[in-house]
Amino acid sequence: MPAIEVNGLSKRFGATLAVDDLSFSVEAGKIVGFLGPNGAGKTTTLRALLGLIRPTAGSATIEGRSYDELNDPTATVGAVLDGGMFHPGRSGRNHLRVIALAAGVDVTRVDELLELVSLSDSAKRRAGGYSLGMRQRLGLAAALLGDPRVLVLDEPANGLDPQGIRWLRDFLRSLAAEGRAILVSSHVLSEVAQTVDEVVVIHRGRSIEQAPIGELLAGRGGGVRVAGPDVSRLAELLRGENAEVTAGDNGAIVVADRSGEQVGALIASHGVHISELAPAGQTLEEVFFELTSDDDAETAA
Amino acid sequence: MSDAIRSELLKLRTTRTFLGIVIATLAFVALITGAQAAADTFDEGAIPGIDLLDVAGLAQPFALVLGLLAVSTEFRHGTITPTLLATPDRRRLMIAKVSAHVGAGVILGVVAYALAAVLMAVILPIRDISTGITLGEGLEQVAGGIVCIALLAAIGVGVGAVVRNQVGAVIGGLAWMFMIEPLLTVIPTVGGWIEDYGPGGAITAVTNSSFGGGADISQLAGGLLLLGYAVLLAIAGAALLRRRDISA
Repeated sequence: MPAIEVNGLSKRFGATLAVDDLSFSVEAGKIVGFLGPNGAGKTTTLRALLGLIRPTAGSATIEGRSYDELNDPTATVGAVLDGGMFHPGRSGRNHLRVIALAAGVDVTRVDELLELVSLSDSAKRRAGGYSLGMRQRLGLAAALLGDPRVLVLDEPANGLDPQGIRWLRDFLRSLAAEGRAILVSSHVLSEVAQTVDEVVVIHRGRSIEQAPIGELLAGRGGGVRVAGPDVSRLAELLRGENAEVTAGDNGAIVVADRSGEQVGALIASHGVHISELAPAGQTLEEVFFELTSDDDAETAA
Repeated sequence: MSDAIRSELLKLRTTRTFLGIVIATLAFVALITGAQAAADTFDEGAIPGIDLLDVAGLAQPFALVLGLLAVSTEFRHGTITPTLLATPDRRRLMIAKVSAHVGAGVILGVVAYALAAVLMAVILPIRDISTGITLGEGLEQVAGGIVCIALLAAIGVGVGAVVRNQVGAVIGGLAWMFMIEPLLTVIPTVGGWIEDYGPGGAITAVTNSSFGGGADISQLAGGLLLLGYAVLLAIAGAALLRRRDISA
């Protein structure tokens, strides 16, 4: 049974269909990026999964049950949803104590988690004075109170500086390594590209693609861009091996059907002098834009 | 259930709201009871003990506001989301919130009446004025007053859960208490019924207050009526929390 399963989920707000027959799943031990531009329906989907929004149709379940059927919700799933979720006049530590009491979690766990997210020093200050990064970490601590098997994070990298994003990436990796399933939404692909195993791309409430991140690139150009003094000789060598070589910008060449490693091996064995070797063609970012851009037919409909 | 109640009590203890409301109530009670005990000439027919104890009834709107803030503040700051994640059962959450706020209302009522009683007991003998009531009559007055304050906090919780918007709940709740209901009593035929059995009528009855011409129903009936309003509003609040999407 998947840790998270969204099946035919639809949600209508008045005239707007925010989520439209959306289906995807997340397996234990995997980090899945939930990607789409702002307004694509990501938050609505996550809130439906957490029993905060009633679906118009379909279902969103955690370990096979809807949120309000879970025996011990806090030990099953932890969530960080957009922004604050705390009272500015209450200290970070008391915020966690309030949740721990309601969830029946031992209060000693509060101090452990404050330590884990590096908030111990500020734990007794009023949370209204916390920086954005501290708020995100307080949210993460709250989500982890019940030591849940599943984590749902809505835009956790929002407002984090590069250091914070790196910290978050390592943190999520270590949590997934412990066997947890993690669903993390973002509208900025680069924030999560290095963290996730798979991506679910949604646009206008519909799932466009669910695939391992490597497969997303496969069959969409790709290839290797090579530049340097001896590129023309390298091009001849590659053509000799029936590789597909085209001219790139600034005298560089692009090899469409060879991996960087294969090209590198050829360079080494022939002692070719080159200065640059990099993945070419569509980047993940470009694939994401292509997937989520509106084509005319859809707009007309 | 007790976990959820303890969590709600901790919420009340960990912001400045409840403390602020207690301090504001005590300041008003001290000022008015003190001034009245020290300066009022108490016309013939007045019962100084009742008049002075009644000043503690000033805690009523403060208790109502405390209750109105219970759910509306959670929507204002988005804490309703972690609250519902930890306690997904909306009925359970409402019972916990109402219970905790009834407790807070009792504390508010006890300190307000204690302060009024102490000021009265200290100042009146100096002026050689008798309270004009027995201990039993005084206790009856105080008990009704505290029950009223606690139930107003409970009513506030229900109204706040129905309205959700913090400013709207507070302004609406106070406007009902001080303007709308008194105005409705002026309507012919219906007005008389509202005056006796509306929340304001129930408050008049349970506090044994002679304000507004006295109550038509007994103190106990007034208390039960007010309890009925609190229960109905809590049920409505829980039902709406279940039905409505939480996107705060």
